[in-house]
Amino acid sequence: PASRPAVSRPRQVGKGELRKIPVPANRYTPLKENWMKIFTPIVEHLQLQIRFNLKTRNVEIKTCQETKDLSALTKAADFVKAFILGFQVEDALALIRLDDLFLESFEVTDVKPLKGDHLSRAIGRIAGKGGKTKFTIENVTRTRIVLADTKIHILGSFQNIKMARTAICNLILGSPPSKVYGNIRAVASRAAERF
Amino acid sequence: LPGLPGIQTCLRIAGAAAARPECFLSVQDGLAADFRAMTKTLYDLNKGSTIVRGGPLKELVIENFDEEQIWQQLELQNNAVLDFFKKSISRDAEDEDLCLLSDQEEDGSDAETSSDKELEDNIMEAETEEMNVYTKDKDKTKAKEKQSKLRESIAQKYSDEDSDIDFDIEALEHQAKTAKETTMRKKGRKSVVDDKFFKLAEMEAFLEHAEKEDKEEEEEDDDIDYFEDIISDDEEDFEETKVKPIKSSRDMTYKDFFDPVDDDGDDDLVANDAEEDQEEEADSAIEEQNEGSMSEFEDMDEMVEHMKSKEASKKVTFSLPDDSETEDVTEVQLEKGINPSEIKSSFEKRQEKMSKKIKSLEEALLEEKPWQLKGEVTGQKRPENSLLEETVLFDHAVRMAPVITEETTFQLEDLIKQRILDEAWDDVVPKEKPKEEAFEYKKRISLDHEKSKLSLAEIYEQEYMKLHQQKTEEEENPEHKEIQEMMDSLFQKLDALCNFHFTPKPPVPEVKIVSNLPAISMEEVAPVAVSDAALLAPEEIKEKNKAGDVKTDAEKTPTDKKRELRRKKLRKRMKRREKEKRQKLLEKMKPEQGTKLSKKAAAAKLKRLTKEGKASLLKDEGKDKALKSSQAFFSQLQDQVRMQIKDASKLKKKQKKEKAISVHKLKL
Repeated sequence: PASRPAVSRPRQVGKGELRKIPVPANRYTPLKENWMKIFTPIVEHLQLQIRFNLKTRNVEIKTCQETKDLSALTKAADFVKAFILGFQVEDALALIRLDDLFLESFEVTDVKPLKGDHLSRAIGRIAGKGGKTKFTIENVTRTRIVLADTKIHILGSFQNIKMARTAICNLILGSPPSKVYGNIRAVASRAAERF
Repeated sequence: LPGLPGIQTCLRIAGAAAARPECFLSVQDGLAADFRAMTKTLYDLNKGSTIVRGGPLKELVIENFDEEQIWQQLELQNNAVLDFFKKSISRDAEDEDLCLLSDQEEDGSDAETSSDKELEDNIMEAETEEMNVYTKDKDKTKAKEKQSKLRESIAQKYSDEDSDIDFDIEALEHQAKTAKETTMRKKGRKSVVDDKFFKLAEMEAFLEHAEKEDKEEEEEDDDIDYFEDIISDDEEDFEETKVKPIKSSRDMTYKDFFDPVDDDGDDDLVANDAEEDQEEEADSAIEEQNEGSMSEFEDMDEMVEHMKSKEASKKVTFSLPDDSETEDVTEVQLEKGINPSEIKSSFEKRQEKMSKKIKSLEEALLEEKPWQLKGEVTGQKRPENSLLEETVLFDHAVRMAPVITEETTFQLEDLIKQRILDEAWDDVVPKEKPKEEAFEYKKRISLDHEKSKLSLAEIYEQEYMKLHQQKTEEEENPEHKEIQEMMDSLFQKLDALCNFHFTPKPPVPEVKIVSNLPAISMEEVAPVAVSDAALLAPEEIKEKNKAGDVKTDAEKTPTDKKRELRRKKLRKRMKRREKEKRQKLLEKMKPEQGTKLSKKAAAAKLKRLTKEGKASLLKDEGKDKALKSSQAFFSQLQDQVRMQIKDASKLKKKQKKEKAISVHKLKL
């Protein structure tokens, strides 16, 4: 059967690809405050269209003709999602700038079934006094962690996420922070040694 | 009996001689000849008897024979006979029927006498009882009485005469021999291996005896009674065996086998030494002449001592060396002053000693104990430095320092030598500071507990930059260094070439701080009391007026006022002049500016203009003022109207004047 020759069309981003990111009520005000910082890189660097649907309380991102990059939409969506989860804008911005950053979420009860006080204590262990432990893990593993009640979100490169996840799991399981510090330090130094 | 008359004669002679002992104080030639004849008869008699096998000589030859030769003949006989006697004795000793007990002295003595008699049958019959008793080889159960008697007799005989003639030569010889034998047996030669239990001499004697027994046993029956008690060497003394009840081997105790543990030999030696000393002291006069005999006597005495002590130690339960000593002492006493009346039985003596001992013990028990036995004793309760004499045992809490002996030093030296050979030195290894490479240091990540100030993006950015920058830095630095070095060397050389005339740098004006303080306050280290007087004077701050004090207007005198006025005028005058000069200069230099600036020039210009009619002056009519009240308003209004009227009238006048006075215009 004869078939027509394939028409080579310049590959274009699909028209009007839309992504919707719901915004919970507690993040509404921060979104408002940081709106400028959010939409500027998306629009300028990624050439996307973005809007916040007040009725549905969604951030909608749409491709347009100017969009050059296919992955831009995903990136933008991830960026906004990260912000909505609780990360800072600058930190979430790294998602746009670097390709190999990921976002991982898990719950405390996934690691170990805890209830009541034990759960609270586990969360407290992860956070540390004034967030000390969390910051320590962030600094050593070069990740960003958001601790939202029982949910934990980690932003960073794959290896670093792994390190941070191990550290947090150890804390949930009950090891003291000092021990966890030692472990992550050792792991991080080994990782740095390799590169 | 064939020789009975001979024996009877001998007895008679001997008895006669013994009855008159005092005659022995002097040399008795007749008695000597009698004794010689007696000896011969006895010898011949003995030879006649077939029981004993004697020496080769059938008769004793006396005629024209020296004492020495007679002795030798006797010796021959005796040697042969002795062997026979020994065998017979041993045979008799094995006989169980014979027994002698120590307590029953009389029985013992009877037994002794009986045994004596038995011996006498074998030995020369004419000998005196005392002699026989004394000449037994291993007599140990001798009663003290007997001994003392014997001693008396011996002492009588061993007077300060020539020994050879008066004595019964045979007996003496025999005694000496036996004594020597016994001493050899008992005391023996002290050898190196001797100790409390073992005496080499005794062992040799035992071995000799055993050999002889073997010879005898060959002749005797081969049947040996295995259950028969075998008597030990020490108890060869048949007297001993008779005296003691024969024990079965199961009941034997230490005593039966061994001598008491205390050094009998040494004690005896000591005792005997003491005894000898005493003897020497006492009998110095006697001994001078009987040295030889005395030595023999002493030997015999020693033997006696020894035997007695042994006897004592074996029989008496309190086996103390004291006994022997006391015995020695008593014996010495006896030797010195022999008093037959004070002689006590051995039992009595023992009882005495025991009672004394008991007394002393009781006294000791009743007395106050010495400080050593009193328990806790303080320094006051014991004599001074008494602990030094005591050997004190106490526990040491601290480990004592090691006692350095020769051995320890040798050990140390050996160790040192070995170490030197092995070259295993204990050199101090220098500690090296651990150098941490920068690379390692970088890897050591320090924990930061605070929120990082950089965002994630920035962190990654920095990392990226670091990675890329590192390379370039490393490349540049060495090159830079090289360049820098080369340039330095070059410029150095150039400077050397160029700069012949050396111009020093201009002196930088030093800023010197001059403080307006007296020198003393600067030089003084401690702050001198700062007073206002040291500070600047008011005249130094502000110059004083020539006139003097500052005066108010009220205080000023007319001269002061005039003076001030003159000064003021002078200053103004000077200023005006300067200003005019400047204006003139300016006018010359820049004519336009000059006219503009000066006020007079401006006023003059204005006048000219107004005169010419080109400019008109605006008069200030006070319209600008704000009117506050109605009265002010109306008054102002009134003033304005009046002014207008005046001006109108003045104009007319002026016009007239001006018309009249225009001389200049007329003149043209």
